[in-house]
Amino acid sequence: MSKHVLIAEDDTALADLMAKVLSKYNIRVTITYNGKEAVEALEKEVPDLLLLDILMPVLDGHGVMRFIREKSLECPVIVLSNLSDKETRDKCKEMQAQNYFVKNDLDDDDLWPAIEGYLR
Amino acid sequence: MRKTIHSASNGIALKLKFLAKEKEVVRRKLVVTAREKEVVRRKLVVTAKKLRLKARQLAATAKEKEVVRRKLVITADALRISRKTLEKKVLERTKDLEKVRAKDEAILASIGEGLVATDKNGRILLVNKACERLLGWKEGETQGKLLSKVIPMSDSTGKTIPALERLITKTLKDRSTTTTTTTMYYKRKDGTSFPVALTVAPIFIGKDLIGAVKVFRDITKEKEIEKARSEFMSIASHQLRTPLTAIRWVLSSLKRENLTEDQAKLVKTAHETSMNMASTIRRMLMISHLEEDGMEPELEQVVLQRELEKISRLHDAHRQRNGLELALQCPQDLMVRTDKQLLIEILDNLLSNALKYTPRGGKVRMSVTKEKESIRIDVADTGYGIPQEEQKRIPEKFFRASNVASPVEAGTGIGLYMVYNIVRLIGGTISFVSQENKGTTFTLLFPS
Repeated sequence: MSKHVLIAEDDTALADLMAKVLSKYNIRVTITYNGKEAVEALEKEVPDLLLLDILMPVLDGHGVMRFIREKSLECPVIVLSNLSDKETRDKCKEMQAQNYFVKNDLDDDDLWPAIEGYLR
Repeated sequence: MRKTIHSASNGIALKLKFLAKEKEVVRRKLVVTAREKEVVRRKLVVTAKKLRLKARQLAATAKEKEVVRRKLVITADALRISRKTLEKKVLERTKDLEKVRAKDEAILASIGEGLVATDKNGRILLVNKACERLLGWKEGETQGKLLSKVIPMSDSTGKTIPALERLITKTLKDRSTTTTTTTMYYKRKDGTSFPVALTVAPIFIGKDLIGAVKVFRDITKEKEIEKARSEFMSIASHQLRTPLTAIRWVLSSLKRENLTEDQAKLVKTAHETSMNMASTIRRMLMISHLEEDGMEPELEQVVLQRELEKISRLHDAHRQRNGLELALQCPQDLMVRTDKQLLIEILDNLLSNALKYTPRGGKVRMSVTKEKESIRIDVADTGYGIPQEEQKRIPEKFFRASNVASPVEAGTGIGLYMVYNIVRLIGGTISFVSQENKGTTFTLLFPS
């Protein structure tokens, strides 16, 4: 059975792009454009990996992580955010985000292996 | 008869004889008298001469006296005139002084910035109109009051600064001019506040410190502009970053496909270029933050070797293309407590410069040594070096050395400016030695 990735990213171009890249590897992708949509998707089905943005309208990434923890969902999270401050990083760690990538600062070549790692 | 006649004639003769004798006596007397007369006459002549001389002398004296009198008259006139001129001059000077004073007062009153002078104890001696206007006090209301009571000052969090920590206290203590480095807020009489920039200078009469003078400016407008600029920077960079992220991710995923050699090369170059652009945007943002004083280091334990390897990997492509050797030396597991992102920024810049300004076949070394109380990182190259006369300009914004190889390597001149500012922010020091056409070594020291 193919793996399932949930994307929560308000930047549609970025979200669609990630979906396209992932679907090439026989991965099922669900795209949501804000935290509320992501929570609704999580309620329906727990994915094998969540790619999560922090700054999103309606409900932000922290809110989504809080929901995962409250419901004790077993879902690995990779945070992809523009926020690079320590406070955000610490908050993500506290919320048990498995990986935290700053969208613009990371060595891009680390991203795909990290994603692959959770889908093996 | 004859006898009688004879005797008579004898008598006569005798008488004549006698008379002759008397005559002679008389004549002689007369001669004497005449002589005496002559003496007297001569004396008179002398006296007359003397008198004439005296008269002449007197005349001369009189003349002299007249001259002196005339001179006195002239002098008196001159004195009268000079007294008048003096009076006139005094009048003029007084007027001038009044003018100067009026001018000084007008200048003081017209200064657009607030001005307060206090005595040694911080009591207000003088304020200008702008000060009263800015703070909402009426004329003369503040005279003699304590500055800290009249103008309460607080920091950006709203905490009131105690009198002892105020700039004016520091100025009076250090006897030197001080300026605010962070934004402070002044409270008006009505309790509202506004941001100020201020400078306090000591007032000396001769060598005696008599007080301090403070000049302050309402920087509300500047703050607004600063905020707008900062917002613009953040929006602009966000707008630039998001599509760039998409481009980079596409390229980095493309790199993992089965491409032909030519395709792989092109994709690699495109990815590298987009990475460079991302770091330029990141630097622009960082400079903007640094200049706003809006940056606080976030300390964490950093494993140096891991970061060094990561940074060096970012430059692998460029390095291999230019045939440069890179040596990394770092004690295993050496940790340092610092701001990771900022440290990466420093080392990335230094390494990037070293690689950029070293000709083909050169060597670059990045080495870490643990010293007694600090960690030392050297970034050394065998490159073009920095001309001696330009070395002190290295920390300047936009400075680029004149011996940069042609065709000119892309560079903005903000890298080292940023490095110097970040190093200061994380409490380290940076120095370098450089020799033209031999190479440059930058040495970074920071507390371990």
